[in-house]
Amino acid sequence: MSNQTIVQIQNLEKNYGKKQVLHGINLEITSGQIIGYIGPNGAGKSTTVKILCGLINEYQGEISIFGKDLRTNTLEIKKQVGYIPENAVLYESLTPMEFMEFIGEMRGLENEITRSKAEALMNIFEMKANLNQRIATFSKGMRQKVMICSALLHNPDLIFMDEPLSGLDANSVIMVKEMLIHLAREGKTVFYSSHLMDVVEKISDRIILIDQGKVIADGSFDDLNKLSNDENLEKMFTRLTGNTNHGEKAEAFINAFEK
Amino acid sequence: MIKFLLSLFKPFRWFIEKMGADYNQFIMILQLKLTMDNRRTKGIGNNAKKETENALIKQSIGQMMFGVFFAMFCIIIKSPFTYYYFVHTFLMAMMAMMIISEFTTILFDTSENVIIQPLPIKGNTISLSRIAHVLLYLSLMSFNLSVVSIIVGGFKFGVLSALVFSFTIMLNVLFTLFLANMLYLVIMRLASGEKLKNILMYFQIVIAILFMLAYQLSANMIDKTHIRDMVLPVHWYTYLVPPAFFSGLVEAFTSFAFDSSHLIFIAEALIIPIIGIYFTGKYLTPVFNRKLMDLEQGDRVSIVKTETARKSLWYQMMLAIFVHRKGEQAPFKLIWTMTGRERLFMQSFLPSLGFIVIMIGVQFFRNNSFNLDELVHSSRYLLILYGFMFIGLSLPAALLNGNNEHATWIFKTVPLSSPADYFKGFVKAALARFFVPFYLVLSVGICSLWGYKVIPDVIIAFLAIYLITILFYYLQSPGFPFAQAKSASQGGVVFAKMMGLMFSAAALGFIHFLLLRWFSFASLLLIPFYLILIYYVNRIFVYKKITWERVDEVNMYS
Repeated sequence: MSNQTIVQIQNLEKNYGKKQVLHGINLEITSGQIIGYIGPNGAGKSTTVKILCGLINEYQGEISIFGKDLRTNTLEIKKQVGYIPENAVLYESLTPMEFMEFIGEMRGLENEITRSKAEALMNIFEMKANLNQRIATFSKGMRQKVMICSALLHNPDLIFMDEPLSGLDANSVIMVKEMLIHLAREGKTVFYSSHLMDVVEKISDRIILIDQGKVIADGSFDDLNKLSNDENLEKMFTRLTGNTNHGEKAEAFINAFEK
Repeated sequence: MIKFLLSLFKPFRWFIEKMGADYNQFIMILQLKLTMDNRRTKGIGNNAKKETENALIKQSIGQMMFGVFFAMFCIIIKSPFTYYYFVHTFLMAMMAMMIISEFTTILFDTSENVIIQPLPIKGNTISLSRIAHVLLYLSLMSFNLSVVSIIVGGFKFGVLSALVFSFTIMLNVLFTLFLANMLYLVIMRLASGEKLKNILMYFQIVIAILFMLAYQLSANMIDKTHIRDMVLPVHWYTYLVPPAFFSGLVEAFTSFAFDSSHLIFIAEALIIPIIGIYFTGKYLTPVFNRKLMDLEQGDRVSIVKTETARKSLWYQMMLAIFVHRKGEQAPFKLIWTMTGRERLFMQSFLPSLGFIVIMIGVQFFRNNSFNLDELVHSSRYLLILYGFMFIGLSLPAALLNGNNEHATWIFKTVPLSSPADYFKGFVKAALARFFVPFYLVLSVGICSLWGYKVIPDVIIAFLAIYLITILFYYLQSPGFPFAQAKSASQGGVVFAKMMGLMFSAAALGFIHFLLLRWFSFASLLLIPFYLILIYYVNRIFVYKKITWERVDEVNMYS
């Protein structure tokens, strides 16, 4: 079960106008894994995730998810995918319940099931009391929790998360991390994109590092570490993405003030 | 352009500093604001979004064109006092409209506070620059609008008159701004937080309706031949009417009449605006800004009452009548819930409702007399019924406006083969919630006046309006609801389409009327005809028209 190929990407390229963001990405992802998808700002992380979720339709290369071609079976695939976007906004004038009811119904869930699931999920985040309050009044973390709950409503097999921990308090961070591990144990695949190196290092079964639209490292942390002895992911990240002289740069920063 | 506008403040440096602001910082803030205004993105959707560097100039040209129409209207007036009185009244009205419609974006914009407030800038500088920004906006608009009127005035009454007139325009702007500030402060006194925002919304709507009413009334009352020789008599209360101050001042210099009555006008025109603006800058604006900040903070702490999803019988009925596909249900429900809560929607929709009320009123009081007998024997109910087209047609545009442009990703992540189902659900919900009830109430009223024989006509008109509204909605750019910032530039296209559809509405009403004339049951033929058309539009046309390709062009999913 754990060796089933879930996502297969071949030569994925993407241009925004003249600017090429993805330069031929090749990946194969098997089920039951947490994939840490990391890279510097502007490396193409979010673009990859958006393409895989079907938000961006135009790309070059072949992608198949659950063994189906993404271009021709977008709907089939979307049914089994959950997406937690970065910087996304919810309809503020709705309540979490109304928002999730909408999503549930559009995904073909029975209303009763949506409601009970929404309650259960929000209860885990200790937000059951907020179910019928307008999202406009929520803090960033609370919104993020609603977003996570609404992405998991339909029990997806493949979950894409773009910086899911942003704005969450320490308790919730621990909870989401645990949740991800549980989901992976159940055979679900989590595609996790983040800048928090320590979190990625801890929870990921496999780490994919991209830079300038190319995969530059791929493997479990231990595998990767054997090659280089970087002691932690943060150091590996900086070494591979070519910014090793942080010390000098920081000094230059200080000097800039003194002039 | 910006440099020129900024240089206008140079002579007033002493004044600005006297009000307690740092002049250099003041100019920097203004420059920033103007630069941003000048780059306001135009068009809709991420593809159409081009940065325009000259938004200000383009806008100015549009306003000048508008000013031409007004000058044409006033060109025949002989009396200088009356001429300038009309122009000043027009300007004040336009400024009031501007303040009301743009109020949220300019005066109520607190987004900059996050950036500007942490910087070491005095509160007075910030509030003054805010006022100056609005002032610049209003003066620019006023001069654009009246440039033709100034020229016309120059030809009619001499160059000096035109020069003095230009000067009074400035005074008028100052005065109107002062008045608007006072008004809004009073409102803010009365309420806070969410409640205040709601009050402001209704206030704006009432003002918009009042303007329409005034327009209707003046259009009915003013007789063109009369205008030429019209001389406004000066009563004691004329001294209390603001446009009279300014036109009095101009007239004094036009005909060199400096009698006591003119001197009073001159004194009023000079003293009131200057005291007003000093008062605004020194006392009102700081209070205003403090209130604004409360407003911002208040949002976070205000306790929200828990909402229980109400599924009324009415909702269930409408759902059963209008929605026949499963995919439309959830969008229907979404819009049903949201329309009642989105302020921008209410703002753009409710005035049209007010307009309809006025229209109906005008039907009853034609020729300044109320004659029920005559009314019942006419076919004027058709006019009222088809007048409702206005409500129907205001819905599609109202559904677009809102601040949720970053929430639309959700529609794309959900598996749905054709986005048309979304849009069908949206427009049906809006119609069911905001059109059907009013139409029903009115139909009952009409039936009780004209008798049961008009029931078929009520049904036919409904079908016609329904058809035109959904057609209009499907034809407009398929933006997801409440996700587009209101922009003036799209107004032109929408307006043209709207005119086309209004024309077709009138045509449909006229066909209806002719068929009724022909023989009394001929109009029944329209029912199957419309039903077939509606079926075609809802089942075939919309799926061809609204495709993911088109939807993706207009919306962004970030």
